[in-house]
Amino acid sequence: MEKAPNRACLILSLSLLAILFCLPFLEATQITPASGKKNFTRYEIWVELDDAAKMLKGKEDIFWFNHTREEIPDIRLHLYWNGFKNEKSTLLQESREESLLGIQVEDRHWSWIDLKKANLADGPDLLPTLEFINQDEPLHPGDQTVARLVFPQPLLPGEEVHLKLEFEAKIPRGLLRSGFYKDSYFIAQWFPKPGVYEEGKGWNCYEYHLSSEFFADFADFIVHITVPARFVVGASGKQVSAVSDREGKKVTYTFQQGSIHDFAWTAAPDFIKLERDFIADREVSEEEYREVAKKLSLPLEEVRLPDVRMILLIKPEHKSQVERHFKALRAAIKYYGLWYGPYPYETVTMVDPPFRTASGGMEYPTLFTAGTGVLRDKKVLSPESVIVHEFGHGYWYGLAANNEFEEAWLDEGINTYSTGKVLAKAYGPGMFSTSLFGLPLSWFFDFPFYYDREFDRIGAIMIAEIDPITAFSWRFYKRVSYGLNVYFRASTCLHTLERLLGEDQMVRILQTFQMRFRFKHPRTQDFIDVVNEMTARDMSWFFEELFFTTLNFDYGIASLKSSEKKEFFRGMFDADGKKEEITKKDLAGMKKKREKAEGQKIYTTEVKVRRFGEARVRGEAAVKLRVFFEDGSEEVRFWDGQKRWEKFVLEKPAKAVSAEIDPDFIWLIDSNIANNSLKIKPCRRGIFRAAAKVMFWLQCGLSSLRGLS
Amino acid sequence: MGTFKIFGSGFLMAGRKARLAIYLWLANFLFSLVLVAPFYFLLQRDLARSLAGEKLFQGQDLLWLGDLVYKYQNVLALFFGWLVVPSLFYLVLQVFLNGGILGRISVGERVNLAAFLSDSAKYFWRFFRVFLISIIGYVLVFVFIGRGLSSLFKIWTESAATQWTTMAASFLRLFVFLLLFSIVKMFFDYVKVSLVIEEGKKAIRATLANFQFLGRRFFRAWGLFLIVGLVFIGLSIGYYLGAKLIPKSGVIPLVILFVWHQVYILAMSWTTVLFFSTECEFFKTHKYSPP
Repeated sequence: MEKAPNRACLILSLSLLAILFCLPFLEATQITPASGKKNFTRYEIWVELDDAAKMLKGKEDIFWFNHTREEIPDIRLHLYWNGFKNEKSTLLQESREESLLGIQVEDRHWSWIDLKKANLADGPDLLPTLEFINQDEPLHPGDQTVARLVFPQPLLPGEEVHLKLEFEAKIPRGLLRSGFYKDSYFIAQWFPKPGVYEEGKGWNCYEYHLSSEFFADFADFIVHITVPARFVVGASGKQVSAVSDREGKKVTYTFQQGSIHDFAWTAAPDFIKLERDFIADREVSEEEYREVAKKLSLPLEEVRLPDVRMILLIKPEHKSQVERHFKALRAAIKYYGLWYGPYPYETVTMVDPPFRTASGGMEYPTLFTAGTGVLRDKKVLSPESVIVHEFGHGYWYGLAANNEFEEAWLDEGINTYSTGKVLAKAYGPGMFSTSLFGLPLSWFFDFPFYYDREFDRIGAIMIAEIDPITAFSWRFYKRVSYGLNVYFRASTCLHTLERLLGEDQMVRILQTFQMRFRFKHPRTQDFIDVVNEMTARDMSWFFEELFFTTLNFDYGIASLKSSEKKEFFRGMFDADGKKEEITKKDLAGMKKKREKAEGQKIYTTEVKVRRFGEARVRGEAAVKLRVFFEDGSEEVRFWDGQKRWEKFVLEKPAKAVSAEIDPDFIWLIDSNIANNSLKIKPCRRGIFRAAAKVMFWLQCGLSSLRGLS
Repeated sequence: MGTFKIFGSGFLMAGRKARLAIYLWLANFLFSLVLVAPFYFLLQRDLARSLAGEKLFQGQDLLWLGDLVYKYQNVLALFFGWLVVPSLFYLVLQVFLNGGILGRISVGERVNLAAFLSDSAKYFWRFFRVFLISIIGYVLVFVFIGRGLSSLFKIWTESAATQWTTMAASFLRLFVFLLLFSIVKMFFDYVKVSLVIEEGKKAIRATLANFQFLGRRFFRAWGLFLIVGLVFIGLSIGYYLGAKLIPKSGVIPLVILFVWHQVYILAMSWTTVLFFSTECEFFKTHKYSPP
């Protein structure tokens, strides 16, 4: 307290300096489309944080342009925080149905957003026309997360509307991506945001669902955030000014960013703010550029990366992990940039989410939240994994901005796949880990090392037959089905596609898809079209079998037999008009005679392969069968995999040792790799090892029980 | 006699009666063998002829771990469910074996299987009644006191500023629960000791009398119990460090690891004997001496 006067003087001086410094920019903060595009949606928002009341008070100017050939009578706005207003909201009703994976709002912690004013810039008050829309099936009447305002006259094609809104919002106490805890804030989905108007379909503006993320139009943002002076602030976009009020009690930060479709910010007094540059020439060698240019068949200049300003806001208790955070972010900027196209914005802000604000591991344009703990094992790729993943969403969601309500796999699935690729390249396998009250158990026990794709596969095979990957986000059977399908099953299918087409081809596909649909809203069919175009074949079957249906993929070996070829037969035979019997003894003699003549035995190997699952390989793809023999040789056959089973018969002068289907492990999506191979002779060493381990843990458990006796 | 001296003589006694630990280990081994057998045969049926079975031998791998989880997702629930009943049976078996241990510790004779089983049978019903009473003790401590404690910890962590607080609170709570557990366990151990040494037959009376006995010398008794607890922790650390030295693949390391596991289980069994032998010594020393 005694240091307050000095501090006030300091803040005042700094503020004056800041104002002087920012004067040239203040001119620039007048609504000018940062994207440089005409008729682009623009926002200018003034918001003030009331730390004591945990409220936001804001004014918002929206310039919205009718790009369609239709007359539009109204505008629909997302008011997401009304999802936490009462138990009639879609979000909380879905939470109740989910029980364990749902969210609960404690008494006295309801939050909401109220529109206080809604005018057109030229005067007419639209607030009397406000109504809440409930259209998402199943209906949840009472939800107030989508509002409709009716224009006095329909907006004509090519016309722009300038809306002036005022709103007040009660901040959630750490609920589903947003909130406060003590005096730390993470503010997301906080302002009235128009849905996306689709020609011929109308407004695409869904309610706030438990299992869904978001969808909005690209726009230019200028946001002025006023907070108490002691707060450190981070936000989407680039900070262009920080202006203190006369008393030095409040500071208004202005952030500006063009061509983004959402805006999030954070504020906490104890954030440590660090800034560094990703200097492309230092991070990427000429050799790497040449290699990528060759792989993508692009000119060298097109694959060169720009420098990026990296901003980290980290909590003091995680300060020791600063280098880990920056290293992961550098790797992400580098490999996403090289493989999927250069990062187009000047800044990226990485936020170590404030404690208990429920905001970790989430993406927003040019800003994302990571997430870590106070104790971390270096062998375990955490927080690296979440940093790479959330930055990656800047590409898959941020730039190629699919509708996450309708086709979440397009960002979550592709990004989970991409995360695995980047982590594997930058770090190699990480250790699987679990913790006890936050203490990493990997410090004491040897857990397996794994690549992300192996982990993804576990989720993928568990969920094959419940929902298709392409289901609408909130219509999955359960939230867990949504998660496992759109993240892990989609990622595993993409890894399978990569193994089918080759790694280089897959990079080309994703690069083309990314660059073609940057600043657009791609659909699943767009992705399929790119795959077909790049491979010059029709791969639609792959998506029909694995994305649009609930078919389990499981090919395997049903039986393997290998025995001496039967060339001689017992019984009565007609010879020269007489009956002649060939006995066992005769057979033995005949065999010996033949062996003497030919010098070797011939063996017949019979392999039966089966399609255990409903999903089938189609197109040019086939299932490979490889049979290994005692003399070290091997035979390969291909099966089109259409029927339920097929028999392959091979004759060789050696007995078979084993047979394996899909020996190159192309079909990572195969739900049972144990049945992909079969040996003639059983081997129990591995089973003994596993059983011995289980037995030891059982023994320990039983010994502990003794304590209760 | 001081606590350390009692511990010393109890330690020597446990050394002399080490055969009791072998009986406990054997019971544990055979019981676990029976429990694990279905799992072994299940794996053998599905994996013995698969190349994936060989991967099991090479060490942990998320691909086959995933396969196992997928393959046995329904069986696993059944397996864990099925463990409940044998576990209860095992508890009763331990109640039975406790009689043998205490019976043989309380007399100076050599240990043999027949005498051990005879004592087990002799004290079984008495100990079983103590076991039933002890359930009330555990419920009282963990449900009522435990809930109160958890509420206190919750109040503390609700206003935590960082994860450090929640971590510290969680570990502290675990530690407090372990201490509470040790008190309840020790209390009923002494009830059993008194039933054997004083040849009592009334479990409730022995329990009530034990309040008087332990009430007067609680901290000395508890201190002794915790010293033996430290021996147990020391042995566990020894096992852990030893296991770390054993390579993770190969047939011989596999056999060595299996033997090392059994040595550890045997050591755990021996600490059970050590608990009882030190408690017997303590009881004999303090029962008739002034507190």
